[in-house]
Amino acid sequence: MTEPVVQIQNLSIDYVVGAGRFRAVSGVSLEVPQGHVVGIVGETGCGKSTLAQAIPRLLPEPPATIGEGRVIFRGIDLVKVPLWKMPAIRGTGINMIFQEPLNSLNPSFRIYDQVAEAIYIRRIRDEGNLVIDHRPPAPFDYSKRPTTEAGEALLRPIVPGGAAARAVRGRRRREGLRDEVLEYLRLVRINDPETILDLYPHELSGGMRQRVMIAMALSEKPELLIADEPTSALDVTIQAQVLTLMKELIEEVNTSILFISHDLGVIAETADELGVMYAGKLVEFGPVAELFEAPRHPYTKALLHAAPTRYKSEGPLATIAGNVPNLSRPPSGCRFHPRCPIARPKCRAMPGPPLEAVEGGSANHRSACFFPGEVASIP
Amino acid sequence: MVAILVLGALIILGAPHLLTPFGINQLTLDYNQAPSWHHPLGTDGTGLDIYAMVLYALPIDLGIAFAIAGIAMVGGGALGLIAGFWDRPGTVGGYVSLVILRITDVFLSFPSLILALAIAVSLGRGVWQLVVAILLTWWPYYVRLVRGETLAVKHLPYVMAARAAGVTDGRIVLRHILRNVIEPVVVYFTLDIGTVLVTLSTIGFVGLGVNYPFTPEWGSMISYYQQAGLITAYPWTVLGPGLAIFFTVLAFSLLGDGLRDVLDPRSRRVLAGTGTGGPSSTSPAEKEEEAAESTEENRDLPSGGPSLIPTAGEA
Repeated sequence: MTEPVVQIQNLSIDYVVGAGRFRAVSGVSLEVPQGHVVGIVGETGCGKSTLAQAIPRLLPEPPATIGEGRVIFRGIDLVKVPLWKMPAIRGTGINMIFQEPLNSLNPSFRIYDQVAEAIYIRRIRDEGNLVIDHRPPAPFDYSKRPTTEAGEALLRPIVPGGAAARAVRGRRRREGLRDEVLEYLRLVRINDPETILDLYPHELSGGMRQRVMIAMALSEKPELLIADEPTSALDVTIQAQVLTLMKELIEEVNTSILFISHDLGVIAETADELGVMYAGKLVEFGPVAELFEAPRHPYTKALLHAAPTRYKSEGPLATIAGNVPNLSRPPSGCRFHPRCPIARPKCRAMPGPPLEAVEGGSANHRSACFFPGEVASIP
Repeated sequence: MVAILVLGALIILGAPHLLTPFGINQLTLDYNQAPSWHHPLGTDGTGLDIYAMVLYALPIDLGIAFAIAGIAMVGGGALGLIAGFWDRPGTVGGYVSLVILRITDVFLSFPSLILALAIAVSLGRGVWQLVVAILLTWWPYYVRLVRGETLAVKHLPYVMAARAAGVTDGRIVLRHILRNVIEPVVVYFTLDIGTVLVTLSTIGFVGLGVNYPFTPEWGSMISYYQQAGLITAYPWTVLGPGLAIFFTVLAFSLLGDGLRDVLDPRSRRVLAGTGTGGPSSTSPAEKEEEAAESTEENRDLPSGGPSLIPTAGEA
């Protein structure tokens, strides 16, 4: 098996607001295998977006601080990379699609300029110093302190050379830029892309804008694409279109995706593996089909139960009683115990259960529950 | 239309002597004449033609105003961008921003006109002294304005999206933020020209401006003639420069309003649509959706602008 694109190890993120300190993400370990789509679900406020933004170090620091843990990408620990060097990793390494497609395009630039900038950035990176299409030759030993040749090459200055060399490079970077922009707009199924080129973002519909965003992200050929609820601002029909599109594109462009959503239907359709987050912790992780069939954490079960389907049209929608706990004072023990139907004294008294492999599941199915075997018996 | 305006402006600014038979500081033999065909704004007690002097003052006044507002905009704006974008406390940028803002506060804590007057007194009379005096009190407003806009823009999702796309900080500031900040700044700049003119005239009026009649300048002109105490007898000597100030300031505030409309990409498209008179009331986004349904019909529709014409062969 190839090494994962990104490995998150025991990552904790705090928000320091005034006197309070909120641990928005505590001790999450996760990896995205190459070519896979990993989904993350959870209620609002459980740390999904914080986790997503922390990977490319896009969180505003402060108020956020990465307390502990590592994010290993291309053999380097991104947590230790100084912030000003991060642009070298973002874009072609880790790219991101945001929640608000309506505001994620710069209103002052035409579509052409926006897509062209993304392609331009990739071309700069392609020029040799930043080799993105070649994976490091040997598998990495992640137990060692992860600073490797490939990682260091990444952080070297981007453009050496004098003015003449720079002019030649500049011309080469612009060559055929327009055609490539058109190519990527066609890739995301925009019909008549030539018309779109000269328009401003506000002249496009929400679905079109989101497709342009996807085109921009894909045109940089990122190794890891983080999609932070990319469809939640769109209406259902457009959502379906965009999702279908993303699924097709995953096969066309070789990239791995971390897909954040609170919509189980969306996850079921796109993801290979699924992680369930609750109150800043990863409570269950495993193959999507298995999690849907046989969840091993009561929270996963409750989430699945609360998902509206067209078959449950009678009666009120199912909910999970109670709210996500205040993260400045998380409950003792297992964080889900106040809302859990199978909670016992042990759940409150013992420190929270670790994420462990479950019996009878696939190799990578893990759950953080003391009684994973009893989840199936919850009505 | 634009060409005519530009040409007119160039003639007025560059060659005032084309519009008047009198040279700069040319004394005529007509003393204290009321406005007439020969002297449209009359003459003063030494035989200077007021209309000619007002015309000759125009390039000087506008030059001073543009120099002050321009240097203040570029300098103050750059400081404002820096202070707005790199404001994270505890970093080098944070300390730089702090220093910039505290210095700005020091200057803002004085009433700018009084401070300018004080500096003008200490520097003496003359064009450059006037520019320096007003400029020193003028730049902090641009720092504040640009910093505020930058703070508002830099937290918008598209700046985050640009970061995620791997755009470096410098490029984000110069490309993404500057482009979205510059619109209100340019509008403010245009309106500010008028304000600078008024300040300039005020300093001139209290007698600290340039040395009229050796250098024509409106504020100093008014000051000079009202000191002579002849306003009641020869009101046109003051009326000429007064009207000139009034109309110039009015022109710049109208220009500022016009620029605001032109610079906003949203209203720009609307202006273009109404300008060509084409049936472009349906937005292109709507057209795109129509196109998905009935491509053939859409092809035959006349388009609003050249950018909207679909290229043949694209399906």
